[in-house]
Amino acid sequence: MHYPDIDKYAGMDSPVHRIEPRIKIISFGILIVSAVFVGTIPASLFFLAVAVVILLASRLPMRFILTRMKVICVFVIPILVLMPLTVPGTPLFSAGPVSISQEGVSFAVLVTVRSVTAILLVVTMLGTQRFDTTLKALSLLRVPGIIIQMLLFTYRYIYVMIDEFLRIWSSMRAKGYTFRFNRHGLTIIGNLIGMLLINSYERAERVYQAMIAKGYTGNPISFSPFRVTIPDCLFCAAVITLAVGVHINYLEIL
Amino acid sequence: MRRAVEITNLNHQYSDGTVSLENVSLAIDEGEMIAVIGQNGAGKTTLFLHLNGSIRSFDDNVFIFGQNIGTMSIEERICHVGVVFQDPDDQLFMPTVYDDVAFGPTNMGLPEDEVERRVKEALSTVGLSGFEDRVPHHMSYGQKKRAALAAVLSMEPRILVFDEPTANLDPKSRAVFIRLINDLNKNKGITTIVAMHDVNAVPDVADRVVILNRTIVADGTPVEVFSDISLLEDNNLDVPEIYKMFCILGCYGCTYEVPPLTIPEAALTLDRMIDTNGGTVRLGRSENTKEEMTDLFRRFCR
Repeated sequence: MHYPDIDKYAGMDSPVHRIEPRIKIISFGILIVSAVFVGTIPASLFFLAVAVVILLASRLPMRFILTRMKVICVFVIPILVLMPLTVPGTPLFSAGPVSISQEGVSFAVLVTVRSVTAILLVVTMLGTQRFDTTLKALSLLRVPGIIIQMLLFTYRYIYVMIDEFLRIWSSMRAKGYTFRFNRHGLTIIGNLIGMLLINSYERAERVYQAMIAKGYTGNPISFSPFRVTIPDCLFCAAVITLAVGVHINYLEIL
Repeated sequence: MRRAVEITNLNHQYSDGTVSLENVSLAIDEGEMIAVIGQNGAGKTTLFLHLNGSIRSFDDNVFIFGQNIGTMSIEERICHVGVVFQDPDDQLFMPTVYDDVAFGPTNMGLPEDEVERRVKEALSTVGLSGFEDRVPHHMSYGQKKRAALAAVLSMEPRILVFDEPTANLDPKSRAVFIRLINDLNKNKGITTIVAMHDVNAVPDVADRVVILNRTIVADGTPVEVFSDISLLEDNNLDVPEIYKMFCILGCYGCTYEVPPLTIPEAALTLDRMIDTNGGTVRLGRSENTKEEMTDLFRRFCR
């Protein structure tokens, strides 16, 4: 069975893989927030460059990154198309009622660069450590237990759901079903989704019984399996300096 | 001998009014190896959920080692009774095997090194040493099943409850799991309670068999319970294949004290038959053979 694992390449070794998970989350968090809040195209390009450098250092396969990046196109492409048309300002080009504004174009570019940077950083962060490690680190960083548990169960049961979906799907195919975009086809898909919902509701009850049987009390993970080293501190310090530096610089220009 | 489980007049019904357990009384001594058999919907799982306090009875009628389960704290309950559920995907809810096996001991408030010791020991007991960092979705069903057992063993319970332990397992995994249950009972002195339909495996994992059909309808040794064919019929249950085979041999003139239920017992029975017959076993048709066989087929091949 082929699963779309986000942490498929977590077993590799690179400077980025070696960063202590908590430090990694904090540093990448700072970078993402800084990259998202810059207001000029040069500054955003600078953060994009930083993200690309980190990505190259992580040695994650490009193909893996690109497949992950495809998802954000759904959000970015509409912005790229709509912004130049809707933001008012100096017209760059106009044909009849349609006019493309300079401000619109630069805003669209800025938003695109910022979102690409953020996604690159998130994929690099999640791709270079196992997902359970990320969750442990988040728990040790005092992220509320309820959020950790939601992420944890999502991660654990998404695979069970995929299997369940495929089982129902292949039994539908075995009975001669082919998807057609019409009333019948959609009704069947609706039934499938309903089936999955009921299955997962029933499973949730059984999982809860199993949790109770193992003494579940809702307490977060309390042991720290990680150790912060000097290179980790240096990396974090470098990231903070970079982020603060760029923002101060940007404010001065302003 | 201490009483491990004492249930008196336990009743349970679902919120829609369906009665699932009716006046169930059952006493199990420490170290016993018991199987609860019954058709689908006979109330086996409901009974088991009472044993670890997941479902509470308000009448104070479930006692574990003399203590009322309803008044025990959750930490006490889980180190007395461990339940291994049927579907390992329900039981392995943590992202890695280590986290899952460590879940119970951590909840018991044990120190980190003790948790680690228990995880190591539990995984080696089920033969999954080195699987600590594995994620459940990359494991086979048999491995998941054993990991789920390890996750219960790490709490070091005195009573282990298995819900359909051999369901959906391939023959090898099934044999491994049956051996594990026997080891835990014989070598570690854990009281084991097993629910199953797989009657061929029942004699391998139980010295005592209880038939449950909302209430206890039979309770005895495997031979006693399986000899009462009409009782099994009434409860939609079957007898082990080996037993059937020896009933057929009986029609052809073989005589034995008790029909065997497992392969090793079958070998022993044959051995004894050869000894008492002066070195051979003779099969022959008599005038009753045909009639007896027809009767057997009617009973076994319904």
